[in-house]
Amino acid sequence: MEMDSNTDCSMPISNFGNLTRPDGSTIYSQGKSTVIAGVYGPIDVKPQKMLIDRGSVETFFRPKSGLPGVGDRLYETIIRNICETALVSTLYPRSGIQVVIQEMQSGGELISCSVNAACLALLDSGIDMKFLIAAATCCLDQEGYLIVDPTELQQEKAKATFVFVFESSEGRIVASHTTGTFKLEQYEQALDLCKKGSAKIFEYYRKVINGKYNKK
Amino acid sequence: MAKQYKSLHPIKYFRDYLAHDIRPDGRELTKYRPVIINANSVSTAEGSAIAKVGKTTVICGIKAELCQPKTETPTQGFLIPNLELPPLCSSKFKPGPPSDQAQVATKVIADIIENSGCINLQDLCISTEKLAWCLYADLVCLDHDGSIIDACLLALFTALKTVSLPKVEYNAELDSKNLQMDERTPFKLYNVPVSTTFAILDETVLMIDPTAEEENLCTGVVTIVIKDDELCSVLKPGGSPITEEKLVDCIKQSMERAKLLGKLIDTATQETNDEIDK
Repeated sequence: MEMDSNTDCSMPISNFGNLTRPDGSTIYSQGKSTVIAGVYGPIDVKPQKMLIDRGSVETFFRPKSGLPGVGDRLYETIIRNICETALVSTLYPRSGIQVVIQEMQSGGELISCSVNAACLALLDSGIDMKFLIAAATCCLDQEGYLIVDPTELQQEKAKATFVFVFESSEGRIVASHTTGTFKLEQYEQALDLCKKGSAKIFEYYRKVINGKYNKK
Repeated sequence: MAKQYKSLHPIKYFRDYLAHDIRPDGRELTKYRPVIINANSVSTAEGSAIAKVGKTTVICGIKAELCQPKTETPTQGFLIPNLELPPLCSSKFKPGPPSDQAQVATKVIADIIENSGCINLQDLCISTEKLAWCLYADLVCLDHDGSIIDACLLALFTALKTVSLPKVEYNAELDSKNLQMDERTPFKLYNVPVSTTFAILDETVLMIDPTAEEENLCTGVVTIVIKDDELCSVLKPGGSPITEEKLVDCIKQSMERAKLLGKLIDTATQETNDEIDK
């Protein structure tokens, strides 16, 4: 894993190509969460899932222990929809793109971590994308303060948590997922904070991709 | 001619309507469909309701069973929602184990119940560590014509409002329970969350309360859940990106609609309670 001596610990860490079979793969760690993501595509797809005008995107989210549950289905759906939006799936008609995410360690902001890992894996695989995507989490504590990149403990105690996914071209919102109750102003503040957080992630993407190609 | 045009070029047909700021069913972009709620529709359940949002129909029945609380939460009962999307409601669903869509919707509903704090699970506990109520909220979709979460929440919370639980006399030493069916206490709901769904087309056009046809042609949905004057969920599971202003606009529109829906649920339950009193 690459890590500059001057980066603070809140910056994500990632490494490409740890898995040999997928077309693109990455180990991605953000805060205290780590996931491994692999992308296969374009590949064969089951006839009932085949779409004639575009590629069909499938996502699998594997928890670190046990079988995926109903909660993981929601994550899968969110990540699938996000990937579908980000990919230029019309370039791959009648084929499938598979994104597999394996949770390695969970320490808060797991959805953000998975989305960012999926984006890096897609970048690594070379599948055409319309824009990059970056997710950021923040939570509202009991006193009404917003915390960016919360730890698992902060997330558990929080009054509300917000996860936003932004796209890189115009900074619009691709996805939003919240828990707990909150006011509209708090939502807007959280949105602002996460937007700043996502900008850092985009910068990070640029850095690692640069590093990856300049090495060779 | 319009019919053939629609089946040959569904998207173009749809866009032609939208170019004139009107939808194929005659609604404007910011107009929602009529909502009908009927409370206490199933006499064998502890609480029940039918909700119709346009043609979308969801029936909810709530059954109560006695059970033992979990060791992690010895003072709490359970409320377990489950949404069924049978093949009857739409051609999209096949018989067999619950589809992904049903599982996701069930999870979304369970999250909303938890987030809003609309019920206190401790109210369902009869004796610590020994006995508690488990409420099974079974939602069945009869007709799937879009905005399924909205209809589910309306049916679920109207049904919960009509729930009354029999008094239980429990003797912990002998482990004997005695149910008094005539002495019922109504179940307390602390607030009633209601949701509004929007469909996004081309990253710019937003339609409130979409039908199934519109949901299929559109490239994304946003579901906003409002409780009193607070938000309790803004769920946009991917799809076309939208700007912040559009999203805030959606939230404002759903706040307006939430007031109406809240009143509607109150009226529906009030009427049935009056009938029972007579």
